Amino acid sequence: MLTESMLKQINSQIANQLNTGFLVVDDEFNIVMWNRFLQVHTDKDTARIIGQSIFTIFPELPERWLTRKLTSVLQLNTPSFCSWQQRHHLFELPHTRPITTDSEFMAQNCTFLPIETDCAQKYICILIEDVTDVCHYQGQLQKTLEELAQMSRIDGLTQIYNRRHWQESLAQEYAKSRRHNKKLSLIMLDLDHFKLLNDNYGHQCGDMVLIEISALVTSLLRVEDTFGRYGGEEFAIILPETHLTGAMELGQRICTSIAAASLNYNGEVIKVTVSLGVAELSDDASRYEELITQADLALYQAKAEGRNKVCSADFVTSFSRTKA
Amino acid sequence: MSEFHLTEDQQDCLQELINIAMGQASDQLARYLDTFVYLKVPSIESVDAKGLIQTLSQQQNTMAVVSQGFFGYEGIRGEALLSYQEEDSGRIADLLGYEPDELSQDEQLMDISSILTTTFLNVFARQIDNQMSYNAPKLLPMVQNSLLDHLQQMTFNWDVALKININYQVTDYSFNCDMILLIPETAILNIKNVLDRILADL
Repeated sequence: MLTESMLKQINSQIANQLNTGFLVVDDEFNIVMWNRFLQVHTDKDTARIIGQSIFTIFPELPERWLTRKLTSVLQLNTPSFCSWQQRHHLFELPHTRPITTDSEFMAQNCTFLPIETDCAQKYICILIEDVTDVCHYQGQLQKTLEELAQMSRIDGLTQIYNRRHWQESLAQEYAKSRRHNKKLSLIMLDLDHFKLLNDNYGHQCGDMVLIEISALVTSLLRVEDTFGRYGGEEFAIILPETHLTGAMELGQRICTSIAAASLNYNGEVIKVTVSLGVAELSDDASRYEELITQADLALYQAKAEGRNKVCSADFVTSFSRTKA
Repeated sequence: MSEFHLTEDQQDCLQELINIAMGQASDQLARYLDTFVYLKVPSIESVDAKGLIQTLSQQQNTMAVVSQGFFGYEGIRGEALLSYQEEDSGRIADLLGYEPDELSQDEQLMDISSILTTTFLNVFARQIDNQMSYNAPKLLPMVQNSLLDHLQQMTFNWDVALKININYQVTDYSFNCDMILLIPETAILNIKNVLDRILADL
């Protein structure tokens, strides 16, 4: 059978060997006791902190906020919590992984518990759990997720957006343009005689051309434009708040720049050209797919007219209308 | 009628205990928050996992749901879900007596949730000679419909839960939220035992 004093000894030894800090304050927030964990981590002398205000001993604490928080514990007699996800730490304490994490202070989950005793005085126990590990791994997970999300949007070869992300962007831009009654234009772009290039120089040369052309086009765009790889050698550019004339000008600039560029493959100079189809979202289009269809028609037109040129859907419609 | 359903007497008894707890809780909250807190007559019912998903997904514009686990003696345990609408949560910092820049929106939601849950359950526990402990409140992940996705992905390991829904209103701060206490099946049996004991003592 345990005696009262044995129980006390057991309790105090457990309290002092816990890997959790605790600190008890009275209703004026003066420290009345703490455990070894906190003594060791703060490197302060217990005798010099007892009776002192928690805000004097830990000047880093947000005083106004914590006072209100502690008041709720006293007044409602309910526990209160503070997670590292909201506040990385309350107490500036060192932690046990200073070498293998980049965290300066111990990440903490803090719990504030109301403590009642025989006397009328009320106390609050502040539990401080070291969650530096959790915080560190969560950070790494977050980073990995962001990388994955980025990878799922990017075309591996050309490093521009892939078809899926590009199409999602078009759907969004379409919705925006309709909501705010703004212009929206689209350029579809296709490399001329790409199959021939692959046949003559090999697929590695074809890959190099796709990479170089992507980089060249990217350098000609505004930040708000969305450039993506639509299919094999077909690319597409979304131009928000741009009317047909502006899109045609850009298309012409891209066409000329690519024709003028000399690409180098194993010491040989490679010349490539592109054909472009340009369309502006018409008022009666009810789906963004219609814009793709229009730009596609214009692209076929540019191909039919001998390649290395830009055609607009305006022309295509009037053309097909005349034909009809 | 499954073993997890409450008899009419048990239901009445629980309703009465909750009514008393609500009265005391709203009084305490009013004094702490320095404004009137209205709690609407609660609804008590049994739900299955599917029904719960439906209830939660029917609430339009749900901006956030905070979950907090509770556990007491005699196997009384469960989870409290507090759900907030966009338009009802603009002044929580103000209501809690903080400066708006002192804490993030997420922290405001968790703070008020914890206060509402623990105040009510502490009083309720006292009614049944019990004492509750609580987990730290957690914000359930939700972007647009993802709470629904989140719930649908979960394979619940319970079929029936006792669901107690209490609505909180603080008109001075145009604050409004729903507290849904969910008590899973084994804990229902435990609470039925407690109710039977109270009924026998009457």
